[in-house]
Amino acid sequence: MTTQLNNHGQLSASFRDPSGFLFSVNGVLYRQVNRKYENEYVRLMESGLYEKLVKAGVLIPHSEADEAAAESDVSYKVIQPERVPFISYPYEWSFGQLKEAALTTLSIQKRALKLGMSLKDASAYNIQFVRGKATLIDTLSFEIYKEGQPWVAYRQFCQHFLAPLALMALKDVRLNQLLRVYIDGVPLDLASELLPWNTRFNFGLLTHIHLHAGAQKKYAGEEVKSRGGSMSLQAMTGLIESLVSTIKKLEWKPGGTEWGNYYDITNYSDAAFEHKKKLVGEWTKRLQPNLAWDLGANNGVFSRVVSESGTPVISFDIDPTAVEQNYRQVKTEKNERLLPLLLDLTNPSPSIGWANRERDSFGERGPADLALALAVIHHLAISNNVPLPQLADFFAETARWLVIEFVPKSDSQVKKLLASREDIFPTYTREGFEAAFRDRFEIHEAVDVNESERTLYLMEVL
Amino acid sequence: MHFAPLPYLDPGSGSFLIQLLIAAALGMGIALRASWSRIKGWFGSKPKADEDDDDTIK
Repeated sequence: MTTQLNNHGQLSASFRDPSGFLFSVNGVLYRQVNRKYENEYVRLMESGLYEKLVKAGVLIPHSEADEAAAESDVSYKVIQPERVPFISYPYEWSFGQLKEAALTTLSIQKRALKLGMSLKDASAYNIQFVRGKATLIDTLSFEIYKEGQPWVAYRQFCQHFLAPLALMALKDVRLNQLLRVYIDGVPLDLASELLPWNTRFNFGLLTHIHLHAGAQKKYAGEEVKSRGGSMSLQAMTGLIESLVSTIKKLEWKPGGTEWGNYYDITNYSDAAFEHKKKLVGEWTKRLQPNLAWDLGANNGVFSRVVSESGTPVISFDIDPTAVEQNYRQVKTEKNERLLPLLLDLTNPSPSIGWANRERDSFGERGPADLALALAVIHHLAISNNVPLPQLADFFAETARWLVIEFVPKSDSQVKKLLASREDIFPTYTREGFEAAFRDRFEIHEAVDVNESERTLYLMEVL
Repeated sequence: MHFAPLPYLDPGSGSFLIQLLIAAALGMGIALRASWSRIKGWFGSKPKADEDDDDTIK
């Protein structure tokens, strides 16, 4: 993983926090806790909050490390958090995943308040999916709660979670892509403008989004301290409960139905399907990769073959419906090894934020040990006009091993693609495909899939 | 209407004030609910357990 470091060896996603920062030594990830944060850290560990949250699986566990501090003059302690196998971002989550992350954040805040602490951040980037569950990965997010103080992370919570969830549920599920543009969450005036007018009859959305946006505009630049005002613990609890119930009521059903079946509309026979599953299973068991990426995973049928053979897998797809279905299935199965994510392979997640270094691009989070590219090549080569040698380059940078399916022009799905466009793809043949990929890969296996015109390849990058 | 953030105007003040207003109203609701469940308690109905006291979250 080429997680970006700044000149001081610190990981660039954590540079803003005066409480401490992440740094990496020989590939091991550490978090320095600064002296400034000593009281809070001690309270977290000694109040029982840490233990409670870790036991519930909502906070990343850590151990205290002997590693020398990266900036020893301000250091109180160095801790080693459990490593998250794959970092994902809110614009790559389905509706259900963002909702789970939101409810987990609020649940942590409720537990923290009971033990005299409060979250000082409610950033969606502090949540990662670990063992199938939304988990807070920033151990330094807590502050000591003083009765009377409001929730400092309230605005951030509304921007990172409530606004995008409301837009996805009530306007269009694709609006989660606003998070790719607005790194600190959807501005509330924009959310207020985009949401349907009748959301003003929903008490939670009326207050936390519409009136909130209005108040931001009205009181912009005013000194608040002069106006006084404080907030009892009971009032704070009321606020958190209101956010919980507002979010719980937001629903989005994939494709209008609970379980649409994607594979009904493909041209696969059962025999072809089973043959493909068998090959993917055998090859994964042979390779024993640490992590696999399934690119164009649909609702994750082949990702499950990989996860069942013991390999954790990231299941990427462009379709929010497929990703949501996949996520719901992960929850039903309690699958701890499969993470569904939203990704457009023709325009994968860029690196964003300060100096383009806060959030890694799709490519920077690779290469994977193994990538699956099943039934995607024709979409990339024909629908998206990418020449085969460039596809070979892309996959060679993405994974060390590749399982890729070649779908010829004679295949009915490709015929459909070509029906509406001129055939400007003379090299799109099995021979042309193999020639292009041989430049970057060694082809270990090429197996014709039973009862189909397709071929499945196992390749290793040169 | 403005389309770019105004550089010196911090939306934080509004967030702070609206939060106090909403929270005051909702806190009252919680207080009412608490007294109501106490009244119900006199007549033998048990209060609901808070799900966040569980050690597992769904």
